[in-house]
Amino acid sequence: MKYNKSKPIFSSYQKNSNLFDEIFDENENVRPTYKKILELYSDHSIQDFASLNEKAKASFFNQGITFQVYSDKKAQEKIFPFDLFPRIIEAKEWDTIEKGVIQRSKALNLFLWDVYHDKNIIKEGIVPIDLINTSANYLHQMEGFDPPGGIYNHISGTDLIKHSDGKYYVLEDNIRCPSGVSYVICNRNALKRALFGVFNHYEIHTVTDYAENLLEMLESVKPKGVDSPNCVVITPGVYNSAYYEHCYLAKSSGIELVEGRDLFVENDFVYMKTINGPEKVDVIYRRIDDLFIDPLEFRKDSVLGVPGLFAAYKRGNVTLVNAPGTGVADDKAIYTYMPQIIKYYLNEEPILNNVHTYHCSKPEDLKYILENVDKLVIKPVDEAGGYGISIGNRLTKEEIEKVKKAIKENPRKYIAQPIMSLSVHATYIDETSSFEQRHVDLRTYTLLGQDKEFVLKGGLTRVALQKGNLIVNSSQGGGSKDTWVLKK
Amino acid sequence: MSLHYRIKYKSKNTYENPVSEAYWQFLVTPENNETQEVLYSNFRTTVDARIENSINGYNFETTRIHCKKPFDKICFEAEFRLHKKDINPFGFSPIFNNLLDYNLTENHSFKVEFDNFLKHTELTKLPENIKTIHKFNKEFTVFENLNNLNNWVYNYLQFKIGVTKVNTLLKEIVVSKQGVCQDFSHLFCAISRENNIPARYVSGYLHQGNGYFGDSQMHAWVEAFLPNIGWIGFDPTNNILVNHNHIKVCHGKDYNDCPPIKGIIYASGKNETTHSVEVSQQQ
Repeated sequence: MKYNKSKPIFSSYQKNSNLFDEIFDENENVRPTYKKILELYSDHSIQDFASLNEKAKASFFNQGITFQVYSDKKAQEKIFPFDLFPRIIEAKEWDTIEKGVIQRSKALNLFLWDVYHDKNIIKEGIVPIDLINTSANYLHQMEGFDPPGGIYNHISGTDLIKHSDGKYYVLEDNIRCPSGVSYVICNRNALKRALFGVFNHYEIHTVTDYAENLLEMLESVKPKGVDSPNCVVITPGVYNSAYYEHCYLAKSSGIELVEGRDLFVENDFVYMKTINGPEKVDVIYRRIDDLFIDPLEFRKDSVLGVPGLFAAYKRGNVTLVNAPGTGVADDKAIYTYMPQIIKYYLNEEPILNNVHTYHCSKPEDLKYILENVDKLVIKPVDEAGGYGISIGNRLTKEEIEKVKKAIKENPRKYIAQPIMSLSVHATYIDETSSFEQRHVDLRTYTLLGQDKEFVLKGGLTRVALQKGNLIVNSSQGGGSKDTWVLKK
Repeated sequence: MSLHYRIKYKSKNTYENPVSEAYWQFLVTPENNETQEVLYSNFRTTVDARIENSINGYNFETTRIHCKKPFDKICFEAEFRLHKKDINPFGFSPIFNNLLDYNLTENHSFKVEFDNFLKHTELTKLPENIKTIHKFNKEFTVFENLNNLNNWVYNYLQFKIGVTKVNTLLKEIVVSKQGVCQDFSHLFCAISRENNIPARYVSGYLHQGNGYFGDSQMHAWVEAFLPNIGWIGFDPTNNILVNHNHIKVCHGKDYNDCPPIKGIIYASGKNETTHSVEVSQQQ
């Protein structure tokens, strides 16, 4: 089936043949998985979509499914724009993704254990020591400590893209406090409300089982000697950009949402203040960064944490999820060693591709980077959320010089990658009231517990809403789509 | 021969405005190791507060105090009694093989193993222009070089209270050439690390002589790692090797890993803290 230009909703769909389109193949035929939904959508008028889109926006806002953008001068609650056209992933394709992200999560976990114990991978010269000891996220306090169940990165968010060659590449492994999973579930609900009919034509995996798996994982890493652990989610509070998500996760898992001031430590055990008196807490899913969890151990000015929490953790009386210090492995410079890390610990070939990365800290790479800034994406290694990224072919001459200067001043701080072309997907665009191509990526959510592995069959497809923009992070004005994983 | 010591640590804190709630973490309890054993420890405060023993992030024993009732001044008093072996600072077997020893320090695994104590921190960073201010001579043993360094630091800096603060950087200290035991120790660590010998900052007490006590503070010195031997203590403030008069509390990369007191005070306004330490030898 060729796409029909006479159908108003696709009237302005301009297909750029250099990009991989998730819906249409190179001959402009609709890919088999999308045939049915395209037929169904074509039956609606563009006015239908315009009104559905308005309703969806209002519904997200009314439910308080919002986030904050920090770079705005005025902090403002925004909705995460939701798109009515779902992304569909075939069963076979998903199978590879799922195996691949589990492989990465396990390898990263073994890497973290090694880095905080014998450091064999460094002693054998596979990963340079500089990447560890100059990382701001390396915590000396974790050396020699065995986290309960041997797990560091209980929750991983792996960012994948499909390149113009049609293959998936991993862009980042987020293993500090990956966010966004609540949107996966909200998006599914929103699409069901808006266009429930389309779900009758596809057999797709549910995403609502995330909460029960999260709880099961949290319980699996309980401290020694605890039978039925009391788990909580700790949030920095209502001003955090992901506060909605913290509420959602606590509520859907049936556990308490707490702030630092709701907890206290006595004799190295953690308690929650309740109207019935203190209640012991065993597992804390913390959505607070390492340096803020305990003002007596880390940042003294933190009012978000709990004094004495880290000592309770080191005594083995409470489990922190993810473990403090995991950030050393989600550094973008460590990412570039992932193929070697997987090989070293699992003796397997990586299932998912890594994007080739140039290190500004290596002299030969540095030379290449400085000569080819316009062809590369330059990223700071320790910033999250898309901050500080420069895309070479979008820069003016002056900006290129600025980037070069910054790199020369602090080579360890930057890596560079070829400009990957993210695949595109039809997305409803408000301004033109039509479907247009927009770049998308995919964040998957993996849980690792004691004898437990789980990948949420879905994930967050993020959309760069500005035409031609490659950065999909919500903090940079991206939107998202419901993501379907087909059962067969 | 063994020695018995009694240590009294006192801290007085006064606050401009009443404090509604406060936490303190003290890192002042002597550690138990091959040369010392704590026989008795007791902590008291003048305010009704909870006193608990715990650990810090590096597994050293701490005392944590949580006070929930309003107050505007508080005193802490800790008393320790301990038993110390009379150690011979030259008690290690003096077999040095310069070639082997220096080769070991060049070994990659060695560098990884001791990375924490080889890498400079903010407080042990030497300014670029004086990185080579004191170079080790490889014709001498590692021990001799460290001993020379001890002597060099002792002569280079003048002991003077009140010139530096706990966060004064080496680049200022090498200009003023004055400081207290922390500064002597940071400078020693910096140069030792610069010469590939692992060095760690030690916080503890110094017994300044029989029956001698006064307005002394906690002391600081250095432990350096001698290849094929182990950690050996150097006290650059006094130009001596660590002996039975040094009572160790903890070690770390620099002072920031070892502050004797950390407090989180929920109050506004200024505060004033005074410390005093008495170390006395007993029969």
